[in-house]
Amino acid sequence: MDLLQKKTVATWVYLNERYHEVAWHDFHEVCVFLTMRQHAILRVLFACDERERDGAFRIYAVFSVPGRDLFTVIVLPLRGGETSFPSITRSIPAAHWYEREIEDLFGLSPQGHPDGRRLVVHDAFPAGSHPLRKDWKISEDDLRTWTEGAVQKVPYDFMKVEGEGIVEIPVGPVHAGIIEPGHFRFSAIGETIFFLEPRLFFTHKGTEKQFETLGFVKGVKLAERVSGTSSFSHSTAYCMAVERMAGVAVSERASAVRTLTLELERLYNHIGDIGNMCAGTGLAVGYAKGAVIKERLMQLNERLTDSRYLRGLNAVGGVTRDLWTQADDILRTIDWATKEYKALMQLLLGCISHIERLQNTGILSREIASKLGVTGVAARASGVNDDIRKAHPHVLYDTLIFESHTSEKGDVMARMMVRGEEAECSISIINALLEKRYDGELTLPLPAVAPYASALGYTETPRGSVFYWVMADKEGKPLRVKLRSPSYCNWPAVPFAVHGNIVPDFPLCNKSFNLSYSGTDM
Amino acid sequence: MIREIIKNMFSRKQVIPFPEGFAVTAEQAAKIVDLQKKVATIFGRSLRIRQVDAGSCNACEWECTALTNPIYDIQRFGIDFVASPRHADVLLVSGPVARQMAPALRKTWIAMPEPKLVVACGDCAADGGIYQGSYAVTNGAGNVIPVDCYIPGCPPTPTAIILGLSRLLDEYTR
Repeated sequence: MDLLQKKTVATWVYLNERYHEVAWHDFHEVCVFLTMRQHAILRVLFACDERERDGAFRIYAVFSVPGRDLFTVIVLPLRGGETSFPSITRSIPAAHWYEREIEDLFGLSPQGHPDGRRLVVHDAFPAGSHPLRKDWKISEDDLRTWTEGAVQKVPYDFMKVEGEGIVEIPVGPVHAGIIEPGHFRFSAIGETIFFLEPRLFFTHKGTEKQFETLGFVKGVKLAERVSGTSSFSHSTAYCMAVERMAGVAVSERASAVRTLTLELERLYNHIGDIGNMCAGTGLAVGYAKGAVIKERLMQLNERLTDSRYLRGLNAVGGVTRDLWTQADDILRTIDWATKEYKALMQLLLGCISHIERLQNTGILSREIASKLGVTGVAARASGVNDDIRKAHPHVLYDTLIFESHTSEKGDVMARMMVRGEEAECSISIINALLEKRYDGELTLPLPAVAPYASALGYTETPRGSVFYWVMADKEGKPLRVKLRSPSYCNWPAVPFAVHGNIVPDFPLCNKSFNLSYSGTDM
Repeated sequence: MIREIIKNMFSRKQVIPFPEGFAVTAEQAAKIVDLQKKVATIFGRSLRIRQVDAGSCNACEWECTALTNPIYDIQRFGIDFVASPRHADVLLVSGPVARQMAPALRKTWIAMPEPKLVVACGDCAADGGIYQGSYAVTNGAGNVIPVDCYIPGCPPTPTAIILGLSRLLDEYTR
């Protein structure tokens, strides 16, 4: 009998999720046991306001042990007005943003967290605003007086690096290029970055609360608009969560359409990202060639789904159309893209000035990647072999033969090569899928949802794993929708990767991670 | 070689106005050619745009980036995206304007020289779109700064953005 079973107060199983309720003082020990002894990865940590059910807030920590298709969820109920929970950040650094987020949005404080600053909410909201509490309300007048500066702001102290020759370079939130907003504070010695502190969450849009007001079916539209270039993966993970919660098993045909579209999304993103990295090194011809392939693939998306970002295809219960009728078009475009992509890679790998900039730039060590729970291409390029398609097979991934690609170096070059290999893998998956025919209903109706039913949904976006956790209230409407985009895990790793690089290489490092601000900020 | 240089000095390069992949109807093409003429006469062949993401999902940004790819190549119409609001004629805003981005957007608008035009790009920037009513957004760019023109779409395609700019200049010249 291991420690987990000994400390479990109550346990229940739903599909591949095993929930263990633990006591307050055991929470830390159990989480540490899972990560240290069983090498489990912390997938997501969140709170849920279930006071209407039994007067308790609950903290959920979702772990998955490599090699097993099982999610171990540690549940910590906070009953009787308890508003603090034990912080696990000092032992499991991957939890540090989740815990600050819970403090901001729910007003539950992580006991023993090393960083007490606000994370998600900035000065646009008064102190003591906890938007995800069910009883939180704020009037327009409150917000206006606060915005106009009549009330004292909550201080936010950037970490200060002091010493001879240290220059502080503040950048953003509005950047020079056509990119998303975020604030970066570099502390540089000459040209070399000594320390970087990002401050994000400028685009916080209250997405999780918005899901609660929209309802489960309309929520698909919102999930598609969480992160623009991962629209389809986000909506797939969301639909999967809702379907699992309601007990709907989508048909093989709908799963096939989803698998195909996930790979189409991965393909256009990876090729676009490889092209984009050329913008970081000033190789205009590579950038232009990459942009043309990406554009043609997006035009294919438009022909398939009437949306360049594959929106409107997913629906709760299946998909809205069958793509197999346009199989010829897909194959023709993919063939063309494969040829062009191979020529592009040949050009890039033969260009010494480009490759020299990529090699040994922005190295993310394996140790830091696994400690911070980095996911996706960034993790695999640093030697952490974590791919949700393999670890927790979903849609049709268990019937397909494919490799997950890794590299040991962890530099920008490794991230480019992993992207390249995955793009080729996506092409072969698309070709393999289109050879077969799949049967079944396109969309199944959503039955009535049981009160307080909950489930996880997940998939691998081009950037890494995405997780949704949904719970229904007593009327079958959304009580809580938690989303965790891959960028949320990867942002904290960027400062470690750029340490010791020169400031002009920062855009290149940043592009090699290609993180979404909107997905992180929610 | 000298002959080449002299030839290039006098001959004008052939411009392909709508390359393969840039699918437009005849009517749209006429509007784009008209836009090009207006940019040439009113703005001295250079209309400069500053793009600000005020909480969009990043799809609108990628469509703006796509405008500069070799297929749309918006620079040949004299239109380009610039790094500083001080160099810009047009402010192109995307996103429902998150409350935490509203001060930055206002500051960017203030930093622009007169005359300044504002385009709200996408459904979110018009009225908040799917995010309408959320506690953290201001339901559209129009609630933060004065907007001259709206471009609908989620996200608007690159062609739609060019046509939107043509509509903006129509309004401006009227």
